[in-house]
Amino acid sequence: MKMRLALAIASILILVVHGFIFYKQFFHKWETYQASYFDQARTLAKTDQEKDALSGRSAKIEQIIVTQFGNERVDRCTTCHIGSDDPRFKDAPHPYKAHPYSAELGDKQGADGKWERRHKFSDMGCTVCHDGQGRGLEEFYAHGEDEFWNDPMIGYVTQENWKYKDKLKGKEFMQANCAQCHTDKEFKSTPLVNKGRELFIQKNCYGCHRIEGISNGTLGPDLSEVGKKWKLDYIYESIVDPRANSKTSFMPKFNLSDDEVKALAIFLKSRRGFNYAETNLDRYRMTLNKGQVTPPAPVTDKSPVPAANDPVARGEQLINERACVACHKIGDKDGGIAPDLSFEGLIKEDKWVAAHFKDPRALVPDSIMPTFGFSDADYQAMTAYLVSQKKTPSLNNPQEIYTNLCLRCHGDKGDGHGTIATYLDPYPRDFTNAGFMNSKTDDRLMNSIKNGVPGTSMPAWGKVLNDDQVKGVLTYINQNFTKEARTEIKKRDVPEKNPVADTPESVAAGESIYLQRCTGCHGRKADGKGPNSLDILPRPRNLLNAGFINKAEDRRLFESILYGVQGTAMPPWIDYGLSKDDVGNVINYLRSLNKNKKDLVAMCH
Amino acid sequence: MVHSMKKNNFLTTLKEMPMSIWNSVFRNNLPHTDLGRSKTSFTNFFLHIHPVKVHKHTLKPWFTMGLGLISLFLFIILTVTGVLLMFYYVPSTTQAYDRMLDLRGSVAFGVFLRNMHRWAAHGMVAAVFLHMCRVFFTGSYKKPREFNWVIGVFLFLLTLFSSFTGYLLPWDQLAFWAITVGTAIAGYAPVVGEQMRFLLLGDTTVGQEALLRFYVLHIAVLPIVMFLLVAVHFWRIRKDGGLSRPEDADVVETPEVTAPASVPAPAMAMAAASGSSGIVVLEKKHYGIQGLVRGPFTKVGNVPENTVFSYPNLLLAELFVFVLTVAGVIIVSAYFNAPLEEPVNVMHPPNPAKAPWYFLGLQEQVSYSAFWGGVGVPAIEVLILLLVPYFDRGVKGVGKWFAKERLLANTLFMVFVVVNIILIIIGTFFRGQNWEFVSPF
Repeated sequence: MKMRLALAIASILILVVHGFIFYKQFFHKWETYQASYFDQARTLAKTDQEKDALSGRSAKIEQIIVTQFGNERVDRCTTCHIGSDDPRFKDAPHPYKAHPYSAELGDKQGADGKWERRHKFSDMGCTVCHDGQGRGLEEFYAHGEDEFWNDPMIGYVTQENWKYKDKLKGKEFMQANCAQCHTDKEFKSTPLVNKGRELFIQKNCYGCHRIEGISNGTLGPDLSEVGKKWKLDYIYESIVDPRANSKTSFMPKFNLSDDEVKALAIFLKSRRGFNYAETNLDRYRMTLNKGQVTPPAPVTDKSPVPAANDPVARGEQLINERACVACHKIGDKDGGIAPDLSFEGLIKEDKWVAAHFKDPRALVPDSIMPTFGFSDADYQAMTAYLVSQKKTPSLNNPQEIYTNLCLRCHGDKGDGHGTIATYLDPYPRDFTNAGFMNSKTDDRLMNSIKNGVPGTSMPAWGKVLNDDQVKGVLTYINQNFTKEARTEIKKRDVPEKNPVADTPESVAAGESIYLQRCTGCHGRKADGKGPNSLDILPRPRNLLNAGFINKAEDRRLFESILYGVQGTAMPPWIDYGLSKDDVGNVINYLRSLNKNKKDLVAMCH
Repeated sequence: MVHSMKKNNFLTTLKEMPMSIWNSVFRNNLPHTDLGRSKTSFTNFFLHIHPVKVHKHTLKPWFTMGLGLISLFLFIILTVTGVLLMFYYVPSTTQAYDRMLDLRGSVAFGVFLRNMHRWAAHGMVAAVFLHMCRVFFTGSYKKPREFNWVIGVFLFLLTLFSSFTGYLLPWDQLAFWAITVGTAIAGYAPVVGEQMRFLLLGDTTVGQEALLRFYVLHIAVLPIVMFLLVAVHFWRIRKDGGLSRPEDADVVETPEVTAPASVPAPAMAMAAASGSSGIVVLEKKHYGIQGLVRGPFTKVGNVPENTVFSYPNLLLAELFVFVLTVAGVIIVSAYFNAPLEEPVNVMHPPNPAKAPWYFLGLQEQVSYSAFWGGVGVPAIEVLILLLVPYFDRGVKGVGKWFAKERLLANTLFMVFVVVNIILIIIGTFFRGQNWEFVSPF
């Protein structure tokens, strides 16, 4: 009996819940809207024709199925916005309000005062211009307020968790969608897309990013489909704060005004990997061209100043136009991202500068400098200008020298965290690391300052400073940053030359030792990016850096491997059972990795 | 006269027609006698899976907690809602997500159907697992029920796999990355790992082929296999003498019958096996085919009146569990919506990308060691689960929760359960970006 009672109660419970669910299912907001629309329309209907049209209609889900724009779209927006194409409702409140007519959109007013739309809703649907979720019938989903919908109604609706929601409203954002069909670069109704496209070139974004049909950069992510894959907020944030979403990003924070960011964001939102104006043939042609580097150079064409004849003047002109100082420092203009070029004529030869322009990573393997596809003549002019920067700075004491030449990379505290340090790889040396500093001889440190460190951003300051000045800076560094008295450096038994002959067997033996012992930090590819590398500072050396490895003497490599590098994560391998022969094999292996790049070494200083 | 009689007959026939239809469908009326009650169970296709009489102990709610039944009813709910969902779903990477939006946007009861299916699926994983725990902690896997336990373990794995294959179908970010992670775990298996993964995905990455394969597995292959195994599972429950119960279950309640009954039992079984003489007894006592059941649990002549008729006692209990299960599922479905995240973006894994919750323990283990966590340890665990009844041959402590005689086994199993639950909790709540430890508070 008890059981029967419980059963009855449980059954009633189910019944109640069912009632609730049925209620939720059958009483929709949109039905209320439609009922109200029909009421209003009936009172507004004047002619018999209008009345007849209404009498046949009842509440139902309205939908527009659009097939000509990309994948099939189903837009049910008109279920609530049922008066959107009814001119009698032009002043009604939302959702009954009629879509305004606009000459700007191409709508035409006939002689009888009636407007005709250029973009017919029955052909286009709604979401093709407005975004939002056409299939949804609840405001929250239909308008894209749901955080899992990438395209809320553009310019109108932002999502709760958007960081920059204040900046992302305004119907001008819809230009991103106009550009889906109106791909003409000069199309006058999409000024912000056009401006964004120009900025993409002007601010050198194209150097790193690829956008199909526009650029071929490979350093940063491909942005051809960025508008399809990301929310407006994410795009905006990635421009304003590149490391907000990807901690390892080395994209600089560019100095852009709000309007510029907006234009760029709108331009990027318009990149959806395809546009409706393209034919399949266009797309096929694009894929055929893919391998071909066709550098955009609209900035040169648009140059307001006529090209100067003198290569140095022309070079200066180009360097200014191409916003090199958006990253680099030249004189008092400082982009705060890339090395100082003010003394380029003193510290680099024209051969090096020209080669570096063509392929920065051939000389500094981990450089983030993009390869710009300028013409040879342009490169020559730019090189000529840079090597003309020969004015020796007047630097009176070590402190001035440090402040002017070293501080930008090594930082005011000497800890290697200078303003541009994040963009340099290898990272600038930390002078406060006494373990390292005091394990190296004065000669070695002097040598690094005087002759630079090949394959890195450290230039040969010996060409700007005399020996006394170099010594002075070193003392300054030692007193102010390292702060520990120099200690006697242990003499170690290290051969000057690698005693193991460079044979294929030795290389193979070296490789197998390398794979066993070194890959954790230096990586399987020996590029210094092993799985542990991210947790280590200073970072493991990139052993494919030919400039560095080929310039390093056997003795130095031997010592670093056998006895470790103090103050870094490199352990003394002699303690872990490596013999001198083993080390010799490893060195032969490392040298073999860099062998075919020997001609570059001549270039490094 | 002949004519009128015919007419009369025809009228009578017409008059009796509803009753004859009724009687042809339901072989007997609502029973009022014990004979009727046994016949009701016996002659009804849907009820004949029950024994005519069940032991009182079987009906004690706290002994089984109805977990096996809950699992079954969830399976039925899943089948029904799943079939309904199939009317709307297309296993295509370009359409699946749109179909989800349609379900949410414009299909009548679409959201509700999806919710029911989703939550019932999660519930079934939990219920089957708890059912397994119940069987273990009451020692019910022991002789003669060893093989039913093995079938049960397979059913548990199938439940996991069904839920896992269903996880991909919405084709949203959650689905895509959970399956990417889940199948990557399968790829860690030695030698066959990569091939297994390829076989499952039909490709090197999760894509259209994987969606189609998961769909077919989810809606056809796995349900059919499960249906068969469930049938065998139930059949064996009866053939193994019903649910387990403690040895003293009968002694306590009918002490006067037990003593003499112990003698004729083997003789009875022999008689039943050899034929005619057994049948006489059966007819007299209305036990039906029950008399052919072998083993020490045979009721005839052995366990006289500690049983009750399945109809209505067992049926009512089952109905009660059914109603509760349905109520639970629809209440949860009314208040919590099944998640639907962004459409798949293969270039953008969420950080962290997490497998479905019941695999998060595995994923947590994988974060310690890919092979041991993802393949080695789970394989050993499953193997041990399968072999448990053949390791543990003791006959003491059957049919009692946490019997003292089974302290060691229960403790070991409890450790297994608790460790896995803790791993799942850590994986679910305490793992953030890059699988780093975070506090949810």
